[in-house]
Amino acid sequence: MGQVNLSREELVVNQLKSRFPDVVKEGKVDRAHRVTITFEKDHVKEIAQFMRDDQGFDHVKGVAGVDFPTHKKIEVMYFVGSYSKPDIHDLIVILKTDLPRENPTIASVVSIWQSAHFHERETFEMFGVKFEGHPDLRKLLTLDNWEGPPPMLKDIKFPEMGQR
Amino acid sequence: MTAKPIQTEPPVTATRITEPSTLDVSVGPQHPGSGHCRILIRVDGDYIVSADPDIGYVHRGCEKIAEYRNYVSNIPHLERPNISDAIHLNWGYVLPIEELQGVVVPPRGKYISTIAAEMNRIMSHLYGLAIMQGVFSGHTTIFMWGFGDRDLFIELAEMLTGARMTYSFLAPGGPRRDLPFGFEDRLSRLLDYFEKRLVEYDRIFFSNPLIVARAKGVGVLKREDAVKLGVVGPVLRASGVKYDVRKAEPYGAYDDLEFEIPTFEEGDSYSRYLVRFEEMKQSVSIIRQALRKIPKGPIARKAPLIAPEGEATGRVESSRGEITYVVMGDNSDKPYRVKIMNGSFRNLIALPFLLRNVHVADMPIIYGSLDYWPVEADR
Repeated sequence: MGQVNLSREELVVNQLKSRFPDVVKEGKVDRAHRVTITFEKDHVKEIAQFMRDDQGFDHVKGVAGVDFPTHKKIEVMYFVGSYSKPDIHDLIVILKTDLPRENPTIASVVSIWQSAHFHERETFEMFGVKFEGHPDLRKLLTLDNWEGPPPMLKDIKFPEMGQR
Repeated sequence: MTAKPIQTEPPVTATRITEPSTLDVSVGPQHPGSGHCRILIRVDGDYIVSADPDIGYVHRGCEKIAEYRNYVSNIPHLERPNISDAIHLNWGYVLPIEELQGVVVPPRGKYISTIAAEMNRIMSHLYGLAIMQGVFSGHTTIFMWGFGDRDLFIELAEMLTGARMTYSFLAPGGPRRDLPFGFEDRLSRLLDYFEKRLVEYDRIFFSNPLIVARAKGVGVLKREDAVKLGVVGPVLRASGVKYDVRKAEPYGAYDDLEFEIPTFEEGDSYSRYLVRFEEMKQSVSIIRQALRKIPKGPIARKAPLIAPEGEATGRVESSRGEITYVVMGDNSDKPYRVKIMNGSFRNLIALPFLLRNVHVADMPIIYGSLDYWPVEADR
């Protein structure tokens, strides 16, 4: 990726760490343009508010769930970026938090990042993660007559597709 | 995993009266030009009061399937969601795998990928121009012209990759084939022809007073709304945000090539048409430079079939905007998780936003100007 100057990435990490010392469990620069922040799930809205208002990260590129049945957790990742500040156009900040596999619940960030609307709906449907405060948490992609656990969980297996 | 029988009663989506003066109408889920999708609109007379997109008619669980297939056999089905833009879906998936494996594509491979991707961008924008913008505004000439000229590019894509639409051209490590004999010559002659055609497109479509009357000022997405909604690609650039992954985080050979990012301030349907038109001109220039600068040497490195533990995020600028792929490896030949964040799904939020207080007749114009591809959004 050419010449790399890590200072902007480190700045984002340091700002979040010093603003939320107890909430941010881990902040690291993966490589140039990528930052991963692991945090406590109860404070997602404070972090989102700070990142939007103070750091300029104004949109969510996507919300991903990852199921880890052996660790009994579902990891939720928010991919956050900025349009309004051209000097951080290239950054993707990955906000990560762990939810318990039974009854995964987290506050919705739609009131702060409206762009998360459909992404949270998708993660709700595919992983059963309940986003509290989401204005319209409905099924999105699967059939109306699909009754069953969220399809992206690892214990939903489709043997006809082969071994996993 | 049980499926209850499909309701026998007529679904609530059939036309019914909700409030004294409004009517709920289900638009779709027929194929409106790019895939099956339904929009529930509430109309008050001739005006749309609100719209609720009901997507998922072409959902096939790409992310789930990807966990069952190995890294290479994932390529054909992951590029399938958008057949008109297959190279970009393919490339976005390959980038994070290469990052995990630590494989670096040789320069010639990067240039070949870039040429293929820009050809694909032209093809995809021609499809959008012909169907999504031409047919939806009742302009049959541009439909025929756009599709006819797109086929010339398809022929060259077939010459390069062996397939007309879904190429599976890029694997971890680099493209599958080198430029075939005589390809550069044919491509530059095609570009000469295409540049002349672009002038004619402008005269028959973009400067056509009927098109201007129907699209200008319709479906205005202001800059701050575009940022807030997180839309991407031409839709974002038509609202005045200069954001393009090819510049923000250059991949392939874009670092070495010079090009502009066309932006417009108006944010209406017409400027979304124009962004794509200007992008085609830029693509022509990018391909010309790439053909001139392409270095000699190997095209690909051998990549392992296994990816180590870890996760990587890669992104490319597809025809419909940024596509971000997250690939999580677990030391096996199959990904633990693949997450796709693509332009169509991110632009979906603009649809209910724009379909408010507009005429029903403006709906096809707005829908077409977003270049929304339901299959890509549903995955």
